Amino acid sequence: MNKPAGSEIRVASPLKAWASRFALLLLVGAAFGLMLIGRTNTFIVEETRTAVTDMVTPILDAVSQPVDTFSGIIDQAESFTRLSTENQALKEQNARLLQWQAVAHRLEAENAALRSLSNMVPDPAMTYVTARVVGDPGGAFVRTVLINAGARNGVEKGQAAVTGDGLAGRIAEVGQRSARVLLLTDINSRVPVVVGAARDRAVLAGDNTNAPELLYLGPTAKVQVGDRVTTSGHGGVFPPGLPIGVVSGVSEKGIRVKPFVDWAHMEVLRIVDYEMTGILDFEAQVGAARAAAAAGTEQ
Amino acid sequence: MRQEEGVWHRLDVVARSISPFFVTLLLVLLGLVPLRIADLSPIVPALALIGVFFWSVHRPDLMPIWAVFLIGLLQDLLTGSVIGPGIVGLLIAHALVVWQRRFFLAASFAVIWCAFMLVAAAALAVTWLLNCIALLAYVDPASLFFQYLVTMAFYPCLAWAFLRGQRLFQR
Repeated sequence: MNKPAGSEIRVASPLKAWASRFALLLLVGAAFGLMLIGRTNTFIVEETRTAVTDMVTPILDAVSQPVDTFSGIIDQAESFTRLSTENQALKEQNARLLQWQAVAHRLEAENAALRSLSNMVPDPAMTYVTARVVGDPGGAFVRTVLINAGARNGVEKGQAAVTGDGLAGRIAEVGQRSARVLLLTDINSRVPVVVGAARDRAVLAGDNTNAPELLYLGPTAKVQVGDRVTTSGHGGVFPPGLPIGVVSGVSEKGIRVKPFVDWAHMEVLRIVDYEMTGILDFEAQVGAARAAAAAGTEQ
Repeated sequence: MRQEEGVWHRLDVVARSISPFFVTLLLVLLGLVPLRIADLSPIVPALALIGVFFWSVHRPDLMPIWAVFLIGLLQDLLTGSVIGPGIVGLLIAHALVVWQRRFFLAASFAVIWCAFMLVAAAALAVTWLLNCIALLAYVDPASLFFQYLVTMAFYPCLAWAFLRGQRLFQR
C-alpha cells in the first residue's frame, strides 16, 4: 500500500478525531437510552435478554459440567478427611430426626383429622421441575443465577426456586430453554415472610449482601437471633412454609437473616410449581378482561 | 492453487482481525461460569474490562468503539444487571486509552498495568454510580472494591496469555 501524502494526513486526522469523538458520544448516548428503555419498557429488554440467554445457555451448560465434576471431586476429597467425625454427627442427627419423624407422623394424622372436621380448603398440590445452575454472573450489582430449564420444561415466571436447605429465590425471566433466578439476596428481591413462633409478618428484602434484611415488621413483634424465617404465602407467589433462614442479627440498623441455602454449592435448583392464583394470574386476568373489553367495543 | 492460497490468506486475515472481539466475548461468557467456590461469586474479576483495555492499548484497530459497545451490551444482558452502566464503563475505559494513545505507545508492561489500575478504577466507579442511579438504591461498594482488586491481580495473567497468543498469530 502507498503511504498517504502529508497533506492527506493533515486533513484526515482531525476528521478522524471528530468521527471518533462523535462515535463515543453517540454510543454513550445509546447506552443511556438503553438504560431509560430498561426502566420504562421492561418487556423489550426482557425479550432480548431471554433470547440472548437462550442462545448461550447450551454453551454454559457444556462448560459448567466439567467445573461441577471437578468441584465434586474436591468436595469428596475434603469429606474423606473428616469421615469419622461426620459419621458420628450424622448418627446423632439421625437419632434426633427419627424422633421428629414420629412427631411429624402424629401431627400429620392430627392435622388431617382436624382439617376434615373443619372442612378446610386443601392447599394446591406442588409439582417440581429440577434444573442445573449453569450460570452465575457474580459481581457487585446482581445476585442471580441461570438455570438450564425454561418454558418448554414448564418453568414459569414467579415460581419459587428451592434447594434441599430452603428457598433460594424466584424465577424472574423465562426463555425457551433457560431461566433466570432472582436470588433472595438480590437488591430487587422482596419476599413476604413470617418470623419465629409468633409468626409475625414481614418482608425479606435483599441488598446484594449475604444477609438480607427484614422490613415492615409490626411494632409489637419481638424478634430474637435464631428465630426461624419462612415464606408466609401472602401475595400467592410462594407456597407458605418454605424455610428461608434464621435471624442472624438484631440491631438498631436492622434485622438481618442468614439464609439456609449454601450459595457456593448450589448446583441444582428445584423449581416449585404451586398452582395458585397469585399476582401473576391476576395480571393475566386483567389482560383477558382488557381483551374482552376491547372486543366488546369493536362490536 | 494460487487462488486457494488467496482464500486461505484472506480467511486468516479475517480470523486475526476479529479474534480480539471474539476472545473478549468469550471472556464475558467465562465470567458467567459458576465456579462453586465459597464467597468468590461477588468478587469475580471484570474479565471483559481486561479484554477491552488490553486490545484498546495493543491493537486499537482491532477493538473499534462499536465492538466495545456490543461487548458491553452483551455483558449487561447476560449478567442480568441494568442495561447501560456496564456499557458506559467499558466505553470510558476505551476512550481513556484512545485519548492517551501516545503515552501507551512507548509504555512498558508495568506502566501499562499501573495505567490499567487508573482506567479500571474510573470505569468501575462510573458503572457503580450509574447502577445506583438506575436501581434508585445505594449499592454497597465493598464487594466492588474487592472485585477491583481481583481484576488488578488477574490483569498480568490474562495480558501474558494474550501477548503469547498475539506472538503465535504473528509468526
